[in-house]
Amino acid sequence: MPELITITVDGREVQVPKGIQLIEALRQHARVETPAFCYHEDLKVAGNCRICLVEVEGPRGFGFAISCHQQATPGMKVRTQQSSETVRLARKGVMEFLLVNHPLDCPICDKAGECTLQEHYMGQGRHESRLHDDVSKQYKGGADHRFTDGKGQDRGGKTIDLGPTIILDQERCIACSRCVRFMDDVAKSSQLDIASRGDHAYITTFPGKPLDHAYDLNTTDICPVGALTGKHFRFQQRVWNLKSVESIDPSDALGANLTIDYNISGEGGKIWRLMPRRNPDVNKSWISNRSRMLYQQLSVNRLTDGIIAGKDATLSDAIAAAVKALAGAKRVAVVASGHLTVEDNAALLALRDKLAGAEVFGGSWLPVGAADGIALSGDPVANRAGLTLLGIPQNLDDLAKRAGEFDAIVIAGNDLWAADPLKAAKLGSIPVRIVLDAWQTATVKQATIAIGIRAWAEIRGTMINRQERIQVLNACPVVAGPGLEPAWRVVSDLASLGWTNETQAFKAAQARSQRLAGLSYRGIGPMGVVLPAVAAPAAAAGVA
Amino acid sequence: MAKVVPRPELNFWERIYFIEIFKGLATTLGHARKGLTDPAHFPTVNYPEEKPELPRDYRARHRLMKRADGSPRCVACYMCSTACPARCINIVAETSPDRHIEKRPVKFEIDLLLCVFCGYCVEACPCDAIRMDTKLGVMVHDNRADFVIDKTKLMDWDPKDYPVDDLTSQSAPGGARHADALARLQSGSDH
Repeated sequence: MPELITITVDGREVQVPKGIQLIEALRQHARVETPAFCYHEDLKVAGNCRICLVEVEGPRGFGFAISCHQQATPGMKVRTQQSSETVRLARKGVMEFLLVNHPLDCPICDKAGECTLQEHYMGQGRHESRLHDDVSKQYKGGADHRFTDGKGQDRGGKTIDLGPTIILDQERCIACSRCVRFMDDVAKSSQLDIASRGDHAYITTFPGKPLDHAYDLNTTDICPVGALTGKHFRFQQRVWNLKSVESIDPSDALGANLTIDYNISGEGGKIWRLMPRRNPDVNKSWISNRSRMLYQQLSVNRLTDGIIAGKDATLSDAIAAAVKALAGAKRVAVVASGHLTVEDNAALLALRDKLAGAEVFGGSWLPVGAADGIALSGDPVANRAGLTLLGIPQNLDDLAKRAGEFDAIVIAGNDLWAADPLKAAKLGSIPVRIVLDAWQTATVKQATIAIGIRAWAEIRGTMINRQERIQVLNACPVVAGPGLEPAWRVVSDLASLGWTNETQAFKAAQARSQRLAGLSYRGIGPMGVVLPAVAAPAAAAGVA
Repeated sequence: MAKVVPRPELNFWERIYFIEIFKGLATTLGHARKGLTDPAHFPTVNYPEEKPELPRDYRARHRLMKRADGSPRCVACYMCSTACPARCINIVAETSPDRHIEKRPVKFEIDLLLCVFCGYCVEACPCDAIRMDTKLGVMVHDNRADFVIDKTKLMDWDPKDYPVDDLTSQSAPGGARHADALARLQSGSDH
């Protein structure tokens, strides 16, 4: 528990932790909405936009100070816009200067609707411009991009291709330097910089060099205006037409928090983008470009039906065929997957228990890389800790050696043939190969019976990341094919468990590990919960 | 709360009924005579063979305004579809090859059967790209799909049908300054 100090905000005494930035003290503890363009929770403080200014009492009475650039100190007296007309007027002045050269692009700007500048402009009600035609806007940006618009105004810096992922609009930039600080301090690759000075300052890359970092799309999120926009989302949708659900990155064992932005249109809806979701303990505000593009895979190459002996079949026929094949098998290998949720793996364990002579294997042949320290751990098996928690061994090599012992294998969401074709080839000798997968993978091609399942964005479930933090994936209503079910549901059909709800699957997982005791989807919440080292005895008794 | 409407008090001649009947009949016969002798000033029209002349500001079928080069003035900003209470406007945007325009509609459809002709789209449009001054108040088609009009149909209008003295209702956008800027753009001195 940090030491608390008392500051006075608008005449109210507020307790705040010692050493906190004043802007955070105002926002979190005094509950005073404080605008900011350059300040960002996960970046170094720059203090150049000046919009967060408040009045702070000093030796010569109250004077302006920017709240992002100083710490709260004991006895500090602060006046905000709630009690001080001076602060309100000063902020209006700052806003007017920020808007002097900002183009009225909102209708064609992809940021409109989630633009910080637009929000505070609307909030302050500065609807009348004092810029007359003869004053006009100042040209901003590099000389190569200058032009005169349809109203005869001096404009420029539009639609500049910065690299493979990002388009820059120098005219919209308010020079807050968030993107520059992100590239310098987080990405550690200083590819962006501010050129020129004062009124003419603009963002640019170094001459002839592109912006092509693996995390560069985060600059489009932190950009408080529409200066940096991602090519993948450019002109695709207006943000107010999107809904979002909270999920996590299923391609990495850190499980970076993200939201799935989708909408339901005439053709069953579409997922338009993934956005990072702030979780200070996991990924801060960042996700990698690779994770951000995962949504594009959700609509291509999907396995939306069943396949029996190389021929397309309905899902229910494929499930019926699989049940029949498993009933005839004496020794069954069940391959669990770290790409699937805890619920799915609990169902696979239940299938193992149901079938006589079945054995469970788990893990992955995918190589594990090094963590990059931002939002990727390097381990592509997102739920590896979940496998360990449920007591599933990581012994695929063992399975490959003993492949001859089994007469049937069930592989769920684990693309063994793509990960290591040589080792996987040994599994080809097993006569019945049942594969559950969301995509038409190399493993599906090797299956005697393949059953389509829902992908990560379409299910509700939990995964455990490498910090032993259990996090929830929520289901986006946009599903690739009608009739697709989550993996736990299909496995429940195979083992006739009769599960109809993911909470039943989660309860089954809780019965297998005391460390999950007492948790619920609501209890885990959007930020996840770090699992206790050993479950508290009382809670464990309740589940058992 | 119920409002009590007082019944008019009838006098003796009205109560005996026959006199009023013949007065009404006289009006009818009077109109019949006028229809035969002076049809030019007849107060009704032979709809649907004849259509009434609608005023210019009547909210009729939409049209999309054009730039000087014939491309739509619309920049696919979705303001109209956002303002639309009936959600009858369906837009798909794409990047315009003209980097000064940036965005343009690849698809712009209005479902006239959903449309309530409120005119909010016209008010919401930031670049005067959609108008409802076509005077097409009557739309007849024999299937539902024909009521969904696309970009081509919305832009298929004749400048001669619109007031010549009002330049903004014609194809040239912007006014005098636009002409300047256009000239500078074409002469290549805008860079």
